[in-house]
Amino acid sequence: MTLQRKYADEEVDACIVGAGAAGGVLAKELSEAGMKVVVLEAGPMLDPQQDFASDELAMRKLGWQDTRIVDGTDPLTMGHNNSGRSVGGGTVHFTGVFLRFHADDFHTYSTDGIGEDWPLSYDELAPYYDKIEKEVAVSGPKHFPWGEYHGPYPYPEREPLSPNAYLFRQGCEKLGIRSSVPPLAILSAPFEGRPPCINRGFCNQGCMPNAKFSTLLVHLPKAINSGAELLSDCMVTQVLMHPNGKASGVAFTHNKVSYVQKARMVILSAYAVETPRLLLNSATVQFPDGLANSSGWVGRAIMPHSSYDVMAKFDKEIRIYKGTPVLATTQEFYASNPAERGFARGYSLHAHGARPLETVKGIIGDERGLVWGKQLREAMLEYNFYGRITMVGEVLPNPDNRVTLAEDTDEYGLPRAKVTFSYGENDRKMIQEAIGNMSAILEAEGGKVAFVHPDTAHLMGGCRMGTNPDRSVVDAYGQTHDIPNLFVCDASVFVTSSGSNPTHTVMALAARTAEHIVNKVKRREL
Amino acid sequence: MKEEIRMTSQSRYPFYNVMNEQEAWDAHTRNIVRSRLEPSSQLRYLEMEELQLLRSVCRVLLDETRSEMLAFVVSHIDQVLASPVGEAQRKAAVLPQGKLIRDGLQRMRLSTLLYDFAAMDQTELAALEQLLSQLSEGCAESAEVWTGFDQKAFFKSLLSMAADGYYSHPDIWSEIGYGGPAYPRGYVRASLGQIDPWEANSPMNHP
Ligand SMILES: Cc1cc2nc3c(=O)[nH]c(=O)nc-3n(C[C@H](O)[C@H](O)[C@H](O)COP(=O)(O)OP(=O)(O)OC[C@H]3O[C@@H](n4cnc5c(N)ncnc54)[C@H](O)[C@@H]3O)c2cc1C
Ligand code: SF4
Repeated sequence: MTLQRKYADEEVDACIVGAGAAGGVLAKELSEAGMKVVVLEAGPMLDPQQDFASDELAMRKLGWQDTRIVDGTDPLTMGHNNSGRSVGGGTVHFTGVFLRFHADDFHTYSTDGIGEDWPLSYDELAPYYDKIEKEVAVSGPKHFPWGEYHGPYPYPEREPLSPNAYLFRQGCEKLGIRSSVPPLAILSAPFEGRPPCINRGFCNQGCMPNAKFSTLLVHLPKAINSGAELLSDCMVTQVLMHPNGKASGVAFTHNKVSYVQKARMVILSAYAVETPRLLLNSATVQFPDGLANSSGWVGRAIMPHSSYDVMAKFDKEIRIYKGTPVLATTQEFYASNPAERGFARGYSLHAHGARPLETVKGIIGDERGLVWGKQLREAMLEYNFYGRITMVGEVLPNPDNRVTLAEDTDEYGLPRAKVTFSYGENDRKMIQEAIGNMSAILEAEGGKVAFVHPDTAHLMGGCRMGTNPDRSVVDAYGQTHDIPNLFVCDASVFVTSSGSNPTHTVMALAARTAEHIVNKVKRREL
Repeated sequence: MKEEIRMTSQSRYPFYNVMNEQEAWDAHTRNIVRSRLEPSSQLRYLEMEELQLLRSVCRVLLDETRSEMLAFVVSHIDQVLASPVGEAQRKAAVLPQGKLIRDGLQRMRLSTLLYDFAAMDQTELAALEQLLSQLSEGCAESAEVWTGFDQKAFFKSLLSMAADGYYSHPDIWSEIGYGGPAYPRGYVRASLGQIDPWEANSPMNHP
């Protein structure tokens, strides 16, 4: 099929690469401000009612399945584990946990002498957190006990919860650990024509009733209404440069045919692996190490969250398949206290439901050694008798954890991304403490710890922001230090990872970047 | 797994069939799940010899003897290997998945020439289990066969593909008591110990 175009031969005001969490917010804000916007998305446009299914295997396709080369002492699991690839990006298959970072997450260097401070504070981001919460109609508790923001949330907390969430909360209560229903980007009452959640549990397979927010449902339709052109199945292969040192647009491929989109401004929102990869793959004579890479920091200091799962077996049925996967959380172990705990920073613990494939993956990968054969079969026959908790742990930034280009090439002839990751000592100590606490909560309710699964979740960093152009790629608004009309706006700008799920922060940063761009354009400064 | 935890060796829900609920599912999901009950399609990647060995391997990996179930799992693996979709991740220096499996199966055959794994009597099964156990630890013997080959990556790749197929089969969902697809109907009763009327139930699970 040939590509139906609106702005084919025009130089648009902004070309956004990637229609995910950040790309969706940017597209909406910039087009509502009257800018001419083209959004290019590598993945397909999907219809929740026709293309989603209540099935884990079939819905792996929501992930970025193209092969990445992984390396390091703790090579990452990619694909559906951390990267989305369709209109809506990672928001289509994310779990909907919608947390704000805490104030000290933005200055870990000042607080703990580790990592680096962000070039912005919690207070500067707070108004954008407010804005995104309203747009999404976040449901949350009357009082969220941790961090700077305790509510109110636009919509009341989800109710009822799930058996696994009740189990978790009872276990916490016995141990005197405060727990809460988390703020969720999932409706507890109707909003803008979307219905409340029916507790079916398939958030990671795409929400069929449209109860869970995604930019596919919320931001991108508004962008299109305001005139944005959204092109799916369009893989951007290069950012194009003008001899004057500014970006002139992008090259992209649709159905094996190459196209060029000219733009006055290019914004990369392709997530923590593809954004650095695209910058590296766009090297020119003038920028031999890749675009925006005079610091050498493009691709460096990528961070997952440590995300170990603990499964305990009970004498009674729990049924972890029921309900929204995460309906209870605690951040009692979030605050940094290196003197007492022997490591810096902290983590959240989520009661975390799972369907059979995610469960079997966790059993097979038990940290004590692969489980298979009779042992695996018997363990899975007890599927309904497990309770499950997952940590979201802060992983410290390390410049050696990075995205580089592999020798292998992909279907477009581009070098694949090579992603190298190894935990550091602080990360490992934190994981050990978290395993202990997860085990204790489950044991308090009579469970016996059966499996501990080393896992990671989410990706951040790779084009970090900062004030010093020698040690960062973009400034506090996502503008690259080297190329004034080239921006990065997605999870790759994160300086540190925090112990909170990242998407709320990704979107708040995008709203802030969008406002900045609109103001600059109005003042003709861009 | 810790020693002291007792696991069952039989289904806790002998009378539950998740497919009885299929009319309550959306059509797209229903078609996907139903297709798993149809006889396997033609081989697209694997060759006959590889298929036979792989069946025996899956039998051991999954502790499963029913031949239609093994046929389904092997057919799933065949589809994955034939698919142009990427592997999501591949460790540096490990062969691409299709080559890894082909190469590994061939090495397995070479290192066990004495056995006819298609026959599968007790001796063969025990030998196969022992070889798989060694592969899982990366210590299969016979240097001329295994040198320069990532045994663990091969084993893990086989195991995760086999488990993905097996635990996507509705008969296995029934056995483990998984509620299965849940749209347009979701869950209403969500407290501990409560179940919706259509979920798997068995008196023996409520002592
Ligand atoms: C299973 C799972 C559960 C999660 N649960 C949570 C959760 O509960 N809470 C939370 O806060 N976060 C969660 N996340 C994380 C969340 O998905 C990400 O933080 C978020 O989507 C990142 O936003 P982004 O805008 O940086 O990138 P994305 O949303 O990933 O968007 C990037 C988009 O760019 C496209 N793209 C990439 N390269 C190109 C190219 N060259 N050309 C064109 N398009 C391109 C991709 O296809 C993709 O659509 C979860 C993630 C996963 C995988
Ligand atoms: S649990 Fe709720 S939000 Fe998640 S997929 Fe189901 S209906 Fe959607």
